Amino acid sequence: MLSYFISYLIMASTYGIAALALNLQWGFTGLMNFGIGTFYFVGAYSSALLTTSHSPDYVGGFGLPFIVGLLGAIIISGILAYLLAFPALKLRGGFFAISMLAISETIRLIVKNEKWLTNGVWGIRGIPQPTRHLVGASWSEWVYLGIAGILLYIFYRMTEIGVRSPWGRVLNAVREDEKMAEMSGKDSWNIKMQSFVFGSMIMGAAGALYAHYMGFISPSSFTPLMATFIVWLMILLGGTGSNKGVVLGAFVVWGVWIGSEFLIDFLPSGITSKAGFVRMLLMGILLDVILLLRPQGLFGREKVISKLGGSSEE
Amino acid sequence: MADLFVNGIILGSIFTLGAIGVTLIADILNFFNFAHGDMLSFGAYLALFFVGVMPNWGTFPWLSFGPSMILAIIFAMGVTAAFALFFDRILFKPLRERGASELFLALSSLGVAFIFRSIIRLVWGPQAKYYGGLQMARRYPLGITIKPDEFFIVGTALFLVVAVYLFLKKTKIGKAMRASSDNKTLARVTGIKTEKVVIWTWIIAVSLTAAAGVLYGIEVQLRPIMGWNILIPIFVAVVVAGVGDLWGAMVGAMIIGVAQEMLTGLLQDMFNALDLDVLMTAYKPAIAFVLMVIVLLVRPQGIFGTGE
Repeated sequence: MLSYFISYLIMASTYGIAALALNLQWGFTGLMNFGIGTFYFVGAYSSALLTTSHSPDYVGGFGLPFIVGLLGAIIISGILAYLLAFPALKLRGGFFAISMLAISETIRLIVKNEKWLTNGVWGIRGIPQPTRHLVGASWSEWVYLGIAGILLYIFYRMTEIGVRSPWGRVLNAVREDEKMAEMSGKDSWNIKMQSFVFGSMIMGAAGALYAHYMGFISPSSFTPLMATFIVWLMILLGGTGSNKGVVLGAFVVWGVWIGSEFLIDFLPSGITSKAGFVRMLLMGILLDVILLLRPQGLFGREKVISKLGGSSEE
Repeated sequence: MADLFVNGIILGSIFTLGAIGVTLIADILNFFNFAHGDMLSFGAYLALFFVGVMPNWGTFPWLSFGPSMILAIIFAMGVTAAFALFFDRILFKPLRERGASELFLALSSLGVAFIFRSIIRLVWGPQAKYYGGLQMARRYPLGITIKPDEFFIVGTALFLVVAVYLFLKKTKIGKAMRASSDNKTLARVTGIKTEKVVIWTWIIAVSLTAAAGVLYGIEVQLRPIMGWNILIPIFVAVVVAGVGDLWGAMVGAMIIGVAQEMLTGLLQDMFNALDLDVLMTAYKPAIAFVLMVIVLLVRPQGIFGTGE
């Protein structure tokens, strides 16, 4: 039971990191990223290739330590996001969302088909969990929980400081009214690019964290449901625009997801085989119910009161 | 190459039916419907259900299916449209009335997409299904191979496109839809009932995509993910052509269909000649995406878009 709980906390923290990243892109900058899977894949595979021991089947592994893998995942995700920003950020609103979705499906095709790079559908096994060889499997979970928690805290602090800084106010300005921001002399493309790249780097870190926890990744590790959709659900439930809210949203949604697994045990055996689809159905319904009944989420965007007494709201 | 071109036209005619719906919804309801692909799958599976419960009336000469398939297409179009109207009533309409942004509506349609897909998986299971027997392709000059069913697919698609065109051109509600697409406020001022326009937009857009699903199911097979997989080429067809143009959507869809087939073939030949071990067919869906990027960089308003 305890090991279930630790596992829950680790995965929820990983999703919490992804939710912070999406909140930065969507909640603060208005970038509708429907392709979180892209950066999960890139982060997870970068770190896996850097840290696994050498394999004859694919490029790498280089057997480097976890921290190098994590940094590699962050840097490579950042570079990819920067390159993608040139075509993608010229697009607005729904067009941007479509292009992100298309990119993530393209990346999935590459991961699936370029066997020399990723070992194709067989995936990559034996991704090392840090300290496992030192402290043994059971204690290693605790250590990993510590690492995940610290990373969650670091990224939380970073995004908090970021969005409360003058930079964060420019992000908000671009989200609210891009033309107005440009008229005030802000380079809106550049601002959106920074937010997109920074968020994508954090998503890459979440991907790496997932890979080292699971020890195995494959093209089916990050489906549109589990990679992109569930993170959207988390930030909408928690409250777009509130960093505290979206982390809470991640813990709640992941709790519901895991909890529904227990409920399945009580169902008649005929339905259990279809239980995964029932959960998917519930997630879809939950998203639309939130959008309908409580679009601001549990927390909602904090009111920013200016010194002059005006306030900005949704 | 001629064979690949013909394949592209067949695929393009299926994309056309999807793209017209996406472009109508994007234009009149102002959002990209991410549930469109899963509505397409839903239509395909409804037809499977219908064909299953109908008595066996034999098959048409040449084709692999009989009269029950024609009725199945109509059934699928009607029922899928009814589902879409249900979602409009409980979800999109309240959001619209609250003044939700385009992105909010798109996001809620993503939720609807997952609802449709899980219903399909719950009712019909995740395995691939077929309407009926497999059909042998016939040979034609220039190395072209066509299955007789494929004449039916292209013919039905063309028939539906012409029907929608006439509907928009001749009927009162069709004219109202075109007026709303041009200028919603002006349309309302002149006494056009916006809600009625919304309902007809859903009916036309979704029944077309359901028909596309059945045709796609005849051409390949039925899988719960089938619609989601062709959602990207359908979107790309709309984006490439520019939102709101019926013929543009058709031309865009044909371009995407033909480009997917022919470019995969050409690039595969090229890689083979260079002795590179790349399997291009695996990247077919990515070609649509690359085309979209190129078009949007060169001409952001789309090929036929006027740009405002």
